[in-house]
Amino acid sequence: MSKLFPTQEIGSLKKPADMLKKVKNPNVSDEEKIEVRNNAALLNIKTLEDIGLDIIYDGEVRRVEMYEEPVRYVDGFEFAGRVRSWDNKYYNKARVVGPVSFRQNFHAEEFNFIKENSKREIKVPVTGAYTLADWSYDEHYKSKDELVLALARNVVRPLVKDLVRLGAKIIQIDEPAATTHPAEMDIFRESINESVKGIDAKFVVHACFSGNDYKALAPQMPEIKAEQYTLEFANRDTWNEGVDDNARKGFHVLKLFKEHGFEGEIGIGVSDVHVNEIESPELIRDRILYAAKALGDPTKIYVNPDCGLRTRTREVSFDKIRSIVKGAELAREEIK
Amino acid sequence: MISSYTFGIYPRSEELIEATRKNTENLNSLFQKETEEYISAQKNANLGFVSDPLLKWDDIFRPFSNLETATPTALNRIYEMNTFYRVLSFDGQTFTDDGNLVQSNLDLSLLPKNRAAAIPEPFTFAERHTSKGFKTKEDFTISLAKMLRVEIDSLVESGFELIQLLGPSIAYNNEVDFGLVSDALKIITDGLKAKTILHTHFGDVSKKIESLLDLPVSGLGFDITTTPASSIEKHSFSDKLLTVGIINSFNTAIEKSEECIKQVDEINAETKPKESYVSTNFDLEYVPKEFAMNKISVLGEIARGAKDV
Repeated sequence: MSKLFPTQEIGSLKKPADMLKKVKNPNVSDEEKIEVRNNAALLNIKTLEDIGLDIIYDGEVRRVEMYEEPVRYVDGFEFAGRVRSWDNKYYNKARVVGPVSFRQNFHAEEFNFIKENSKREIKVPVTGAYTLADWSYDEHYKSKDELVLALARNVVRPLVKDLVRLGAKIIQIDEPAATTHPAEMDIFRESINESVKGIDAKFVVHACFSGNDYKALAPQMPEIKAEQYTLEFANRDTWNEGVDDNARKGFHVLKLFKEHGFEGEIGIGVSDVHVNEIESPELIRDRILYAAKALGDPTKIYVNPDCGLRTRTREVSFDKIRSIVKGAELAREEIK
Repeated sequence: MISSYTFGIYPRSEELIEATRKNTENLNSLFQKETEEYISAQKNANLGFVSDPLLKWDDIFRPFSNLETATPTALNRIYEMNTFYRVLSFDGQTFTDDGNLVQSNLDLSLLPKNRAAAIPEPFTFAERHTSKGFKTKEDFTISLAKMLRVEIDSLVESGFELIQLLGPSIAYNNEVDFGLVSDALKIITDGLKAKTILHTHFGDVSKKIESLLDLPVSGLGFDITTTPASSIEKHSFSDKLLTVGIINSFNTAIEKSEECIKQVDEINAETKPKESYVSTNFDLEYVPKEFAMNKISVLGEIARGAKDV
């Protein structure tokens, strides 16, 4: 993108309450449910465009969530039941009971709709092979490596290939589990490289923060066939304005990426998705300016929230995105 | 036949999960019903020790959020699991504890005489939480040990014969101050009239077994999915109880009892422990209820089939 500091979202937004009410109602017809989902997608697309985001999606409004949605459409999985994430929040965890294989492009409908209804660039989020494997019980494959690579080759690659055939140009491979097992970074690297093999598109990898400050990821980054990483920084940064090391504690690791020879783009998380407080445009500006300097090339900086915003209210989410867009404008003015 | 037990938090059923979310009128009766089911399952499997399934506990540290100086703060990942706990922040320099924090969160009336309880060991506790009041991590750890001793004394007075001390940080962390671990455990176990077993899970302790054997606890428990049996077999357990965490709480595949019996017999033949136990490798809450129930049953089969030491 020619513009400095392009803005983008990561994927999920909280679903509109009236949509959920209707799609869960057994008395509502299938046709009406399709219409309700389309309207919700349209609302998200238009809101994100009106706010001024450069790269958008539909808030993943049609997806159950990032793990359960793909697993529903992949052969070899059976749901086992719900397992705790925290407190009384649970996710539906599946068992791998046979060879995994791609059945159909389960994101085709949503992608086609967004393509038809959006004026902006589209980034399609796709759950990655490593996370799918890590969040499942494996009763079939001999090792985790085998399962991860089977998912990369037989599920993620055909899915991505088909999305590109439909016109997708930017694919974000979502890997929240990527850095949770530092000893398995080799498997992770291979899973991305196998997933994108032979496909002509721009690949972005989204990895959540998991306590080791991406130190395990940094050495792998130059070897992974991704042009961009969208990562979390804001959730451990200070809320003080400023572009010095003390104010920008959450962004120090960018220097490490450079030291390891990474020359690609970073989508910097400038908004904490776990709190309701809205970061000021000035704070976001300073985070961007610090990151640009730390990475050594402002053209490599994209700007986004840390992660998907689905745990925040829609009002808070859109306010955070508004602030991101304004902060990026301020940073552009500063760097002219 | 050898002895057996499970430990930690058990999974809630789908019905109970929904009830906790909607705070339904029958929530308490559902908690009671499922607690009874899990205790019956352990009794039916003839486990050597029976535990409360801790269904009301959101994480293993949560009862301690009721300490006067504790504030629950951010969520933190449980080591490399896809499950999170609340970090407790302590702002005092001492703990005021009447010894009822753990006990008041157990259903004592449902437990038989051969009862066991699990509690985090002090090193892990201090490593996973934060303190503003204590000057050093050592002071924090020792003070936690004193508080935990009060809790454990109450449990022992109420008839608990086995105290499972959960020490995943000892397994997971590369650097462990075994001097501090030992000092803290001494506070807990000195003169205690119950067996204490230190469980190490979420990491390979192959290189730490010598240090673990020197600790002042009655026995050691190992997760053999992360610490290979071959590493345990290199050591003598003639002065210690040995628990083999043979049931994998992180996979829905149900263990084949014959294979497990063979493996436990082999480990015991090599290590010659003072007493032998089998258990889960960690909390059963990482599999859904249906699988947890099957695993309890298989655990009983393994204990009955293994050769006495």
